[in-house]
Amino acid sequence: MSTNQDIHSEFIDTTEEYQQQEEGPHSQEMLLNMGPQHPSTHGVLRLVLSLEGETVTGCTPVIGYLHRGIEKILENRPFMGGIRYMDNADYLSPMLNETAYVGAVEQLMGLEVPRRAQYMRLLTNEMQRIASHLVAVGTYLLDLGAFTPVLWAFRDREGILSLFEALGGSRFNVNYMRVGGVLHDFPKDWLKECQAFLDQLEKNMGELEQLITGNEIFESRTQGVGYIDPQQALAYGLTGPMLRASGINWDMRVNRPYMAYREVAVNPQVRQEGDCYTRYRVRMQEIIESIRLCRVAIDKLPGGPISTRTPIALRAPRGETYFAIESSKGELGVYLISDGGEYPWRAKLRGPSFVNLQILPELLRGYKMSDTVAIMGSLDIVLGEVDR
Amino acid sequence: MNLVSGDDIGTQLLHSILSWDFLQFVVALLSIFGFVLTSATILVLAERKVMAWMQDRYGPLHTGPWGLLQTVADVVKLLLKEDIHASKTDKALFLIAPSVFIAPVIASFAVLPLSPYIQLPGAPLATGLIFLVAMSSVDVVGVIMAGWSSNNKYSLMGGLRAAGQMISYELPLVLALVGVVMLTSVLAGQSGYPKSAGDGIGTISFIEIMQFQNVWHHTGIPVLDFIFDGFTPWTWFILVQPLMFATYYISGLAETNRPPFDLPEAESELVAGYLTEYSGMRWAMFFLGEYGNMTIVSAVTAYLFLGGFSGPGVYFLTGLHSLLWGFVGNILALGYFVLKVYALCFVFIWVRTTLPRLRADQLMQFAWLILMPVTLGNIVVVALLYFMLSWAPVWVYLVVLGIVNWLAFVGFVFLVSRVTKTTTRRAQAPAIRAQLRTKPTVPALPLRDAVPARSG
Repeated sequence: MSTNQDIHSEFIDTTEEYQQQEEGPHSQEMLLNMGPQHPSTHGVLRLVLSLEGETVTGCTPVIGYLHRGIEKILENRPFMGGIRYMDNADYLSPMLNETAYVGAVEQLMGLEVPRRAQYMRLLTNEMQRIASHLVAVGTYLLDLGAFTPVLWAFRDREGILSLFEALGGSRFNVNYMRVGGVLHDFPKDWLKECQAFLDQLEKNMGELEQLITGNEIFESRTQGVGYIDPQQALAYGLTGPMLRASGINWDMRVNRPYMAYREVAVNPQVRQEGDCYTRYRVRMQEIIESIRLCRVAIDKLPGGPISTRTPIALRAPRGETYFAIESSKGELGVYLISDGGEYPWRAKLRGPSFVNLQILPELLRGYKMSDTVAIMGSLDIVLGEVDR
Repeated sequence: MNLVSGDDIGTQLLHSILSWDFLQFVVALLSIFGFVLTSATILVLAERKVMAWMQDRYGPLHTGPWGLLQTVADVVKLLLKEDIHASKTDKALFLIAPSVFIAPVIASFAVLPLSPYIQLPGAPLATGLIFLVAMSSVDVVGVIMAGWSSNNKYSLMGGLRAAGQMISYELPLVLALVGVVMLTSVLAGQSGYPKSAGDGIGTISFIEIMQFQNVWHHTGIPVLDFIFDGFTPWTWFILVQPLMFATYYISGLAETNRPPFDLPEAESELVAGYLTEYSGMRWAMFFLGEYGNMTIVSAVTAYLFLGGFSGPGVYFLTGLHSLLWGFVGNILALGYFVLKVYALCFVFIWVRTTLPRLRADQLMQFAWLILMPVTLGNIVVVALLYFMLSWAPVWVYLVVLGIVNWLAFVGFVFLVSRVTKTTTRRAQAPAIRAQLRTKPTVPALPLRDAVPARSG
């Protein structure tokens, strides 16, 4: 018991001070460990909340429960071998993680990627973004107590995973990207199925929007809650939907285009309000935009090879590089240092979930316990990427 | 009703046991127990199946045909499970809390008649509403006991939330029923309506309130008599009190801790609220009580607003004074009752699949700022209209009251959305102010030298 309290006291420095200020009936501050096993901490995040009644007076996120040393593993694998481990960083968007990693390796080696492979990457990336956003929206509504949206979202996500299974042989950890291209070409009729799925998805998104958007309980739970102003968003280094919901037009696909995004115009989804509701809206809009991008990619898909010829033992020249893509959560960067060998000498991930999580204690202060889950859900963090 | 009259107390006891009243008592008791317990089991299954249907999935499928035995298996599992108590709980309270929670639920059914015959005979029925309201207030004690004794912060918060919520919603719940009771006192003694205690004296007994929703006179035409005897949907109180029907139902949702008012056991916030530390049969008793509560709210709504167990053929058949047809009539009545109750329970499930959860302050706001004035206003309207229209025949009063109430009902729907929007805007105000303080448009970030990927 005493050890428990020691652990707690490490996180709370305001308790005594606070209690001294209190006059009249003595109200005690309560310390609540939310997580690491809690339904709505999206994995194994632990929040040490100090509560005054139901009002949150302080919050300390404790991370590291899902640390698997992915960066260290990458340093001990050949360049091709590391791709598979990137799947597990942000486990809701493996395609995007792989793209970031192979992009960094290609940049380091100065490899040319065939145009067809670039478009294939764009298509799979946008589909992965849809899948990730579907989970974000669905679980967010589950956090708020609505049961149906999550199941509808997962039903649609299942379609994407089935398409990925046809593509790479695995639903989840696809291991599809390769340095210099992709693993397989699209199977026969895959594009037709993909198009049919996109049509269906568009219809389903309309349904989902009807169910959620405009629901008064949902609006009153999220509007005005968890407001991040643009300066604050910049100061905390937020990226992705979090940043764009605060009114800052910054999208890696537009501002620093990579691969096929140089040829395909992306409409970044920006909104001004900066609250939880806006972040939800931005994600929903991005799904619609991604559907459009998928269609564009299918239309413009060029012929040709799907991969450049690379030696079996890849050796990157001495040097360092930083390559960043727009993941579903924000800027996903991979920093590689090579000493000229078969292994990266140092690999470092800039996970958007990790960076976006930092603003949480700032946001929670003064809100109610119920708002805690509303705000945390709107950050859309994946603990696999936070802890790595 | 005693068959024989005797002298000493032993004989009298024997005779009272041998009476028809006692037989009715036994039948009613067993039926009610059976109904409460099986209804919970069926409702759990129905909830899972209906939700699955609405959410594009199958639901339980493998236990028995179409998964129908799933809840039976669940109950058996729960009965056989170990009853775990955490080490630092307040043991006595912890162990007794589920019983305190479920006892009033079962007791509430004492005043609910299931059919013309299946009802507890005698006094308890006459106290109807008061008894039921009292019992539903006792529920909250069990919840607080569970929350407090669990020695768990989530449980404590869940228990306290439940206390605040159930006490707040008790008031609109009761006030919504007052309108109906007032109506019965207006209608008592009017032509076609029953006269329970005298002109102008209403009733709080469920079976009598039900009879106030029946104005059929025997016409002698068998077909019409068969259908409409006891069953006159055009006199159901939902037509004159639709707003109170909605208010009672919404308060009922909150009273039973159902979504969107399921804050006490909000899964995503409080794990399972006051249920967190419970396991096995004690947990099942809470669960049972909750579904029992759901049945009670639906049943009361059915009695007060939807004509109770009345339906085509019930009173006609039971009025034939034949054992066989009486039996059939009672079974029919039970069927209609169950149908109405489950139709209302279906709405419970429907709401659950559709709506997210409210926040605690929004919940309280809804009870005190919207539901309380609405229910109080309804009482004033019912009384005022009566005095204004006392010169006219009673049907004029009913029609005017109905029109006023339906208009109020439409207004209520708008009012709710307006009030939520206003409060939302008020909540948003700090954010908007902060937004105005910053520059209206933030210039796009200067482009750093992008490192071009050397591909393409």
